[in-house]
Amino acid sequence: MRGENLSYWLKDFWSEFRKNTSGLVGLAFLGLFAAAAIFEPLLIPFAETNRKWRDITYWDDNPKSAPPAWTNWFASRKSAVSTVLRASETTEERSDGVRLVRHSFAYAFSYDRPPLDIIVHFKGSGNIPLIVGVQRPDGAELELFREQATVNDGEDVRIPLGKAAKSAVFDFAKGYEPEEATADIDIGQIRSVNVLFARAQEGMLARPEPLRGRYTFTLTVMLLDEASRIDEPRVVISGGVSGILGTDNSKRDLWSGMIAGVKWALLIGLLTAFVAVALGVVYGIVSAYFGGWVDAVMQRVFEIFVNMPLLPILIVMSAVFRPSIWFMILMMSAFFWVGPVKTVRAIALQIKEETYIEASRALGAGSARIIFRHMVPLLVPYSFASMALYVPGAVVYEATVSLLGLGDARIVTWGQLLRDALGGGAVLNGLWWWVVPPGISIALMGMTFAFIGFAMDKILHPKLRTR
Amino acid sequence: MPENTILEVSNLSKHFSVRRSLGQIVSGRKSVVRAVDGVSFAVRRQEILGLVGESGCGKTTTGKLVMKLLEPTAGGIRFDGREATNAAGEELAHYRRQVQMIFQDPYASMNPRFKIRDVLEEPLLIHGLGANRSEREELIRQALAEVKLTPVEDFMGRFPHMLSGGQRQRAATARTLILSPALLVADEPVSMIDLSTRAEILAMMKEVQRKLGLSFLYITHDLSTARYFTDRIAVMYLGRIVEIGTPDDVVDRSVHPYTRALISAVCEPVSGRVKTIKELPIRGEIPSAAAIPPGCRFHPRCLFARPECREQPEPELAETWTGHLAACRRWKEI
Amino acid sequence: MGATKAMTDTVVDVENLSLHYFTSKGAVRAVDGVSFSLARGETLGVVGESGCGKTTMGLALLNIPSPPGRIVGGRILIAGTDIVPMSEKEIRQTVRWQKISMVFQGAMNCLTPVFTVGQQMRETIQTHKPMPRAQAEAVIARYLGLVGLPAEVARRYPHELSGGMKQRVVIATALFLEPRVVILDEPTTALDVIVQAQIINVIKTLKREMDLSLIFITHDLATEAEVADRILVMYAGKVAEIAANEQVFDRQPCHPYTKRLLAATPRLHEKVSELAFIPGTPPDLLDPPAGCRFHPRCPEAFDRCAREEPPLVEIEPGHLAACWRCINA
Repeated sequence: MRGENLSYWLKDFWSEFRKNTSGLVGLAFLGLFAAAAIFEPLLIPFAETNRKWRDITYWDDNPKSAPPAWTNWFASRKSAVSTVLRASETTEERSDGVRLVRHSFAYAFSYDRPPLDIIVHFKGSGNIPLIVGVQRPDGAELELFREQATVNDGEDVRIPLGKAAKSAVFDFAKGYEPEEATADIDIGQIRSVNVLFARAQEGMLARPEPLRGRYTFTLTVMLLDEASRIDEPRVVISGGVSGILGTDNSKRDLWSGMIAGVKWALLIGLLTAFVAVALGVVYGIVSAYFGGWVDAVMQRVFEIFVNMPLLPILIVMSAVFRPSIWFMILMMSAFFWVGPVKTVRAIALQIKEETYIEASRALGAGSARIIFRHMVPLLVPYSFASMALYVPGAVVYEATVSLLGLGDARIVTWGQLLRDALGGGAVLNGLWWWVVPPGISIALMGMTFAFIGFAMDKILHPKLRTR
Repeated sequence: MPENTILEVSNLSKHFSVRRSLGQIVSGRKSVVRAVDGVSFAVRRQEILGLVGESGCGKTTTGKLVMKLLEPTAGGIRFDGREATNAAGEELAHYRRQVQMIFQDPYASMNPRFKIRDVLEEPLLIHGLGANRSEREELIRQALAEVKLTPVEDFMGRFPHMLSGGQRQRAATARTLILSPALLVADEPVSMIDLSTRAEILAMMKEVQRKLGLSFLYITHDLSTARYFTDRIAVMYLGRIVEIGTPDDVVDRSVHPYTRALISAVCEPVSGRVKTIKELPIRGEIPSAAAIPPGCRFHPRCLFARPECREQPEPELAETWTGHLAACRRWKEI
Repeated sequence: MGATKAMTDTVVDVENLSLHYFTSKGAVRAVDGVSFSLARGETLGVVGESGCGKTTMGLALLNIPSPPGRIVGGRILIAGTDIVPMSEKEIRQTVRWQKISMVFQGAMNCLTPVFTVGQQMRETIQTHKPMPRAQAEAVIARYLGLVGLPAEVARRYPHELSGGMKQRVVIATALFLEPRVVILDEPTTALDVIVQAQIINVIKTLKREMDLSLIFITHDLATEAEVADRILVMYAGKVAEIAANEQVFDRQPCHPYTKRLLAATPRLHEKVSELAFIPGTPPDLLDPPAGCRFHPRCPEAFDRCAREEPPLVEIEPGHLAACWRCINA
């Protein structure tokens, strides 16, 4: 299609494509994937997922291996949903240049299971005495923790109450338990958060019953001079369920990981598939068209490539060079191109015998015209169908390579998620939310391209049109 | 080469070597299919020459040799006064513009994914005719109007499968005309078209030929249509021409035994033949082109054959009377 | 009805046969109310162009299921028995190949290259009338001889035979159960001119020796002239005209379509300066035109032709036509 024809052809093409339901479905999914990749920063709650996937400290606030938040719908005993509380109220008092700032965080607890941990965060600088307290629904007010914190500029302070508030909570509970009960209990064994959220009654240490209602956490700091300050105070509730897709055993939010993986899946899949298929199709056509010794030589070259085992080569290459995703794409393309060659060559051999090819030659057409104007367009539908099959193949190949530790550790891919899931015992431990989303996504990506490919074939092959 | 001859073919041959079985390789025998075996004829300007014969006689191969789609094993082609056998580059491009082909299967001869306007535009693009799109479209419209595929705009936008067989053949003809050729090679152009439309297509071709002054090499197995359509007929058998002359001479006053057998075999729409078993003055079956009989190649099937027909070298085309040639040494006695 | 019974017994009697193909776009009325009869020892030539329904009708006479096609009406009487309501099993066991057989279009190209001719013929025999191998081979040898082939052809593979020989094999295969009626669908179309004439001779000889009645389907009027006693002209799924050979080729046919078909058939021995043709194309059988189906292309059409479909009427003894002009005359 020459340029001038292109816009007309596209309009014509689109009006045809619109009539095809499965093609539209495929296009819709492709749109979803593309949107996920483009709007990634808006979609993921953990903005630095890409850079900090391997950084444990970034994920420290999340619960470990937590199911998705919406599973609460189906659970008989509902777990607390992980969330981040922002200051609902801030008061400030001044006297003699010393500011007393108090941030309050409201938390409505209505679940059957209390959170796993409560973590107070803030950034700041200076020498800052602080007190963390809570007001329970039953009116009890507790001081949970106090400290004289020395904060360097920009540093993030992290106070996990599960550990920090143990003694405070224990003292509180002792008030409701008989003497004999508390004597035997080892303070280290107490799950302080459970007790914090328990009804104030006898047995709250051993068998805490959840107390539902409004809890208000407070962070009171004393800013001794103008240089001292605290910013972004927040209270992270680390609950039994977390996020849209739960977390893995390294506490990483899987929804963030999945969305971050979309762009890589698209990139790896499309780029590898496109380069490989383009190379392979042209190779097959040229080989078939010229025949004779050209064909013979090209097929021998092909056979060498086909017989080379990709994995060992990749391993050796990765040992020598630093593995990066671009390198992997290059290597995969360099070996995937052999895929379509035999079939394309067979089809091209048939096309070569068609009368209209002979007619073109009789008109004086050269090889280039016959190959690119007649033969390649006929193979475009097959190419798309091939591409559809290679996209998930490339994604899974990358996953396989990651499994061997040769993957590009600097990026997050669905393959890596699967690998971590397998390595983390996800299947054995029933952590379905870790395994199913990446698996289904790989399959969906393949389906998307298959649908699009078939719809395009219907249009590009006029006889199959429905009009 | 006489002034009014557009194409002269001398002693043209095309031999195909055949894959050999192990036994043959070991015994050193070679198998060669002599599809075209020394064919000579000339096509005059504005003449329609018919090439008639049964399957395997080499008529299609001859057509492809003339079209330079095949390389001849021997012999030469002269076109428009110039040697064309080994044409290459610029000369070959010129030849291809001047000599065009209409194929037997009107559907297979066009890329099914091309619209008719693309099909017709291709020759223009190859030879660089028409400076821009609108000029080319004008040429396409003219060509379609020439073959009466109207309304032109409507047909330009259609795909081949949206046309009937007759319309496709018109489009194929338009494709050949768009380069203003001098010679058209038509290989069984109407054999795959309905009877009631056949004559229409032939009439269109004849009108185009008259109007544009074209020469035709009309290849067919149908002697009746050839009689109607052509100015001269050449009858081929097993790779050689056995008789050549005007349609009246070849049909009513045929000389070669093969031609006579062919004519006696043709069915005619007349009554009174239902009860009769037709007498066919011929024996046996067509031999394989890989095993051509010695001497006169028709002799095993000829009812008039004598020992000299086998022993003596093959008879050449010789003039029997003005404008009529036959390759039979005993024609005067038969 | 409207079909005339011949003097001697009638072997095939078709009354108002209709066969439609039920496609996703609707019902294609491939054969629509066709009636005729075939007398014993007669050759009926069914002629028409591509798409007129002649092959479909031939297949219908053996009630061969060809989905999405289905017989929707009419009767087919083979030796007096209506085969339309019969079950597939019954037809296979009593009618097909025993009473009526068929040489299919392009059958010679359907011989599989992996088996010898003899093996393939034996398979047909065993399907219809199982018998011990020696007996089958004797039958094969006999029928190969009847079509003019040596018995050793049975040991050859199809690709070793010429087109004419293959066609003879197919004809022999259609005969071995000694049916009364044989339908031949374009038996000579793919063959060379001389071989065509030879096969026609073979068919004529067999007809005489085996007292056959033939239905010879082809698109070529010239071929029909040399084989058919009576000609049946089909157009767009309906019968246009039925007439004797002499009526068509010596005198004049009546139906305008037949007249123009005849004018479009080239003759070898008559120098013609103009070949007639029929402008336009046959109608779409999904939605045929109202009235006479030929009227859009007919130069003699008048107003009644567009409104009312003419019935097939005997205008002279032994001569039927479905045309208002012929009926009025």
